[in-house]
Amino acid sequence: MLFFSFFKTLTNQTVTIELKNDIRIRGILKSVDQYLNIKLDDIEVLDLDKYPHLSSVKNMFIRGSVVRYVILPRSEVDVGLLEDATRREAANQAGKAR
Amino acid sequence: MHLSIVHFEYSIGVDPRAWRFLPEAARPAELRSRSPKLLPPPPPNRPPTFAHLTFLPSAKGSMSFFGFDTNLPRDRQGGPAASRGFFENPDPFAEVARASALEDDDAIDFEDTYDGLGDQLDDDQDAFNDDTFGGGGGGTDTGPVGKDFDFFGKTATVADAIGEEQIRYSLQHPQAAPAAGQSAQPAAAPAATATTKRSGYEKYSDPGFIPDLQAKSSVWGISQKKPEPIPTQAQARKMMSLEEVEAQMRNQGYQSSPVPQSISQHMAEPSYMRHHQDITLPDGFPTIPPEVLRAQLERGGPPPGMPHPPPGMPELHAGPPPGIQGMPPHLMMQGNLPPQNLPQGPRHAGPPPNQRPQQIPPPTTRGPNGGLPVITDPQQLVHLTEEQRNAYLVEDAKRAKRNHKIFLLSRGNGLMTPQDKNFITRIQLQQLVAAAGNVADSDPEAVLAEDFYYQVYSQIRGAPRQHPHQPLGHFAQTYLLQTGNRVGGHGNRRAFQSADNHMQRMQQQVQRAVEAAKAKPKNKQLIIEGSLGKISFSNAKAPKPMLNIKRPDSSEGPRPKKLQSDLSLSDRKSILTNIERVYSALMSMEDMERTMPPPPEEGDAEAIQEHMEWRQKVHALNQKLWHSLKVMEPIVPNSTTPHPFIAFLSYPKGKKAIPRIFRHIDQEQRVTILTMIVVHLDSLDVVRLAQPVPGEAQFSVAMREAIDLFSLAVMPSLLGYVNEAPFNIIIGLLGLVIAQTHVQTVARTKVGLGILTMLLSRAEIVKEAGQASERDWQQWVEKFNVLFDTLEPALADIFPGSINSGDDMYVWQFLAAVGIGASPEQQQRLVIAVKDRVMETVAYSKTLPAEMSSQRLGNVNLFMRAIGLDVELLG
Repeated sequence: MLFFSFFKTLTNQTVTIELKNDIRIRGILKSVDQYLNIKLDDIEVLDLDKYPHLSSVKNMFIRGSVVRYVILPRSEVDVGLLEDATRREAANQAGKAR
Repeated sequence: MHLSIVHFEYSIGVDPRAWRFLPEAARPAELRSRSPKLLPPPPPNRPPTFAHLTFLPSAKGSMSFFGFDTNLPRDRQGGPAASRGFFENPDPFAEVARASALEDDDAIDFEDTYDGLGDQLDDDQDAFNDDTFGGGGGGTDTGPVGKDFDFFGKTATVADAIGEEQIRYSLQHPQAAPAAGQSAQPAAAPAATATTKRSGYEKYSDPGFIPDLQAKSSVWGISQKKPEPIPTQAQARKMMSLEEVEAQMRNQGYQSSPVPQSISQHMAEPSYMRHHQDITLPDGFPTIPPEVLRAQLERGGPPPGMPHPPPGMPELHAGPPPGIQGMPPHLMMQGNLPPQNLPQGPRHAGPPPNQRPQQIPPPTTRGPNGGLPVITDPQQLVHLTEEQRNAYLVEDAKRAKRNHKIFLLSRGNGLMTPQDKNFITRIQLQQLVAAAGNVADSDPEAVLAEDFYYQVYSQIRGAPRQHPHQPLGHFAQTYLLQTGNRVGGHGNRRAFQSADNHMQRMQQQVQRAVEAAKAKPKNKQLIIEGSLGKISFSNAKAPKPMLNIKRPDSSEGPRPKKLQSDLSLSDRKSILTNIERVYSALMSMEDMERTMPPPPEEGDAEAIQEHMEWRQKVHALNQKLWHSLKVMEPIVPNSTTPHPFIAFLSYPKGKKAIPRIFRHIDQEQRVTILTMIVVHLDSLDVVRLAQPVPGEAQFSVAMREAIDLFSLAVMPSLLGYVNEAPFNIIIGLLGLVIAQTHVQTVARTKVGLGILTMLLSRAEIVKEAGQASERDWQQWVEKFNVLFDTLEPALADIFPGSINSGDDMYVWQFLAAVGIGASPEQQQRLVIAVKDRVMETVAYSKTLPAEMSSQRLGNVNLFMRAIGLDVELLG
């Protein structure tokens, strides 16, 4: 649940999402769910010349499994906290595995 | 005119009657290809182009082509309206006349076919023609009417009015109707052809259309309204199978075969009978038993709505075009045809009032009219008062509107099976459970474990949610409220109650789902007996494992390298492991801090006990942390491997841990750490690797980051301690710097100078405050003198890079700290040592913008003022 927890803190931030088919979309992250499906608003497709069919799309729902990268605003990430959250997650996982 | 010629062309190849019932698009392509639509359309109201001129009749009735009379009926009738297009003025008589012209050159005299009904028309009463036939469409020259004029559609819009008119008319002429019907038949048939220039499929082009499938109670023989029982023959006919129909047709063909076209008529018969069955006859109106109708049929009388040939032309039926035989035109149109489009009631032999407007609901819809009488039949309408009728019609319109709405809403009905719905519900529930996490166990600790980053981040960044448990309840509440609103907003009856119920049910469901999920044994795999594979279960929290690795049963499994790793304390892996242990201990201690019991009151033994236990736990964790830090590892002089703690500090996350560590350790531990750092000052990565290299203005990015991180993370913690440290510790630390480290190396770095500045300024503060004893002060001055002597030769080298790098404030701070504590003689030596840099900086700052210039000069002044000077004095 770490990534879910993490992405939840990024709601209403502008993120850039690169899909596995190389389309890059910048937009405001409206919500994310446990499958890391993503809802974007006010989107803007980078390299719109290549994907003109997306020129009229204003918002979208992206299935989590097709996302390659999520490019985040650095200022919105608390690195220290994220490190600790990662440690906790690892500890939880290790605890569960046993 | 050109349109007339087109019709002539049809006449050559195919019987035009074959196609006149079909819309343009339904005709065969070869016919369409010859249609004028593919020709350049001649501008309206202008003489046709050459192609058409060829066939233009030069004079009335004077031209023939292949022996056919090419004159069009309207030409023969001589109306000046002949210039209008065929579609613009559907002239029923033209069809009759033209059909006959195919067989016979003799034109039918208009007077022969005209029954004089038109004379009875009251021209004063056509004020509503426009309403009836659409804006201006009824008039001949009130506006342009395209070739695609939707006659049926226009008529359908006023179907109500037509129906009412029919009823009204039939009331006014109850007796005259049957007689008129008989006499009007010749005229009725042509009229029918006019209305049947459609396929009957128009309604299907309307996406909202559903065929009228209302069940008529009369069909099932339960109609109590009928004075006579429905003839069983007719009913049987209704239910006949195809074979039965054929057999009967054959029989009837033998029995009564004076009529050659019996097939088409018998085909039509069931539908004809059905039309009459639909009618609920009111009491007191003349009724013709179906036997009579049948008899009439067998005499050759046409069913209503069927295009009937005018008398004197029986041979028309002798050779119907082969393609049409199985599908007579009246069959094509019947069924979907609303009754009001059939010839008007009075004109045919059926009971006069039997044309029901389609919009009047079947008798089954009774009841909701409130105070109004129950209307089961349109005929009842006429008995009502005007008010009641209006009220009824309004009610009816409302109902129709509602039905339409229901229909629109129900478009998706049946799209999902119950299984689909269950599936969706399960997904939603699962999401609710997953998102609501552990609502049921309501344990903030568990929530924090699952959602740590979000919870803490929200607290740090001031998100609206204050305590960890809130978002979950909040979420569930939002979801449930939303559902409730939707239900509540839909209808006003039982709205609130049902919304409440809904919420409760949902909550219970969630509760049960969570419990069930808990109760379910945590089987992660299912191995079906006899199968080779396994089925792994997964959910969002525990994804399906791609690899299934058996873990050793105990954590003390085979780890052969453990001993070795204990031996080398400073290799990368063990250092990183140490750091992680430190962090783990830190997090445990932070958790302990959160669960700290309230300070015990006097006499409350239990609380005291609890507090003691807590303290013991904290102490144990502290020891664990301290041990993990490896501060107390013996210092090995001249060792090539750095001390474990110094190695710890060489990693960014080690540096970052220091402030957190300092919060959880006592003063003694803090001074130990400070001592450790000071002793190893020249082996710290930020000192050892941060020596300025001649020719290189800057360090590598990683080194700069390390220095910045050390300055930001470690120095404040150390400074925090030093500012409270007793003087003797400061003296001891300075002595350690001098004794244990290479002072000149230390002094050439930002971190090293920072620590020296820290110690010097603390000593100065102690002296100013008068807290230093004379003996301590003597000791300090001794050490200071040694330090000064050691540093003096390197003073010119402690400035970083070139003069324009700008980042030299810490040097001036250090010099100021030295200058304050220095004797006048030392101050002089100090000025001499750094004089060049001072002058350079002052000169350089004159070339800078005012802001930067004053900043640089301010830095220099830090030092100058410490020794009683000012840059202003330098001019």
